[in-house]
Amino acid sequence: MAVETLVRPLPHHPPATSPATTEVTLPLPLGAAWRKTMMWAFIITDGLLFAGFLASYGYARLMAVRWPPQQEVFSVAYLAAMTFVLITSSATMACAVEAARAGRWNAVTRLVGLTIAGGATFLGMQAYEWWHVIGEGATLTRNSWGDASFGSYFFLLTGFHGTHVLTGLIVLAVTAGHTAHRASSAEGVEVAGLYWHFVDLVWVFIFTLFYLV
Amino acid sequence: MYRTYWIAWGGLLALTVTMVVLDQTPLPRSTFIALMLGAMLVKAGVILGYFMHLRFERWALVAAVVLGLPINAAILYVLIAPDALRIFDMMAAP
Repeated sequence: MAVETLVRPLPHHPPATSPATTEVTLPLPLGAAWRKTMMWAFIITDGLLFAGFLASYGYARLMAVRWPPQQEVFSVAYLAAMTFVLITSSATMACAVEAARAGRWNAVTRLVGLTIAGGATFLGMQAYEWWHVIGEGATLTRNSWGDASFGSYFFLLTGFHGTHVLTGLIVLAVTAGHTAHRASSAEGVEVAGLYWHFVDLVWVFIFTLFYLV
Repeated sequence: MYRTYWIAWGGLLALTVTMVVLDQTPLPRSTFIALMLGAMLVKAGVILGYFMHLRFERWALVAAVVLGLPINAAILYVLIAPDALRIFDMMAAP
């Protein structure tokens, strides 16, 4: 079983000659470092939140008298562009994690910066989409295209996802600040990366189930 | 060293383009839904496996995500069903 010491100095803090703390070793249940394991635990529970929303949306769709055809409301090409931006930001983040493992911190900061640019572009595009949909008179309770719950689910699903993107941008900005000052570990970048890929993963489901099917 | 990620990125992009093209193609509804769900699951697998490194993690962690999450989601879906479907009866009632 993989064993890791819990007290691990950061790269820029050399270990003291006589550590004040006692080193404790514990077995790692999932074979991953604790922070990573906890991030996965968060991802599973947060995934269930979106699973609940999508289940509720599925039934609302079944019960709707007229669910508006998505092409009437959205531009599929625009949504594909949003997807492209988010997938690309996920790829640059994966590269950042790889660079952090290799200790190439300048590259890490640059790649995390590119990821932030991608995330911010996605969020801007989503804001424009909201502005357009709201401009067409859609609210949480009514819209001109069909079933009243269409607006509710549009704002609920994309709103919660957008909030996750915004949170991810804050996490990435903090991570970039740390890596620029060599104050982050490769694990820290990896954990931030896991969260960012999760945001991308959720978008894959929303894009397919809400916008296409 | 970034090659794997850019191959995964290319795959995801190709799948997205395929989905958008299929969206514009007249297809039977059930075929369309099956193709979309299939492509969605492949994309999710690529993100989980390569971007999130799940392919290289221990089996217990992989199972917690790949089995635990869908099983819990399915239970959630089934548990909502009685209430969700009861509304059909309420709508049918005068």
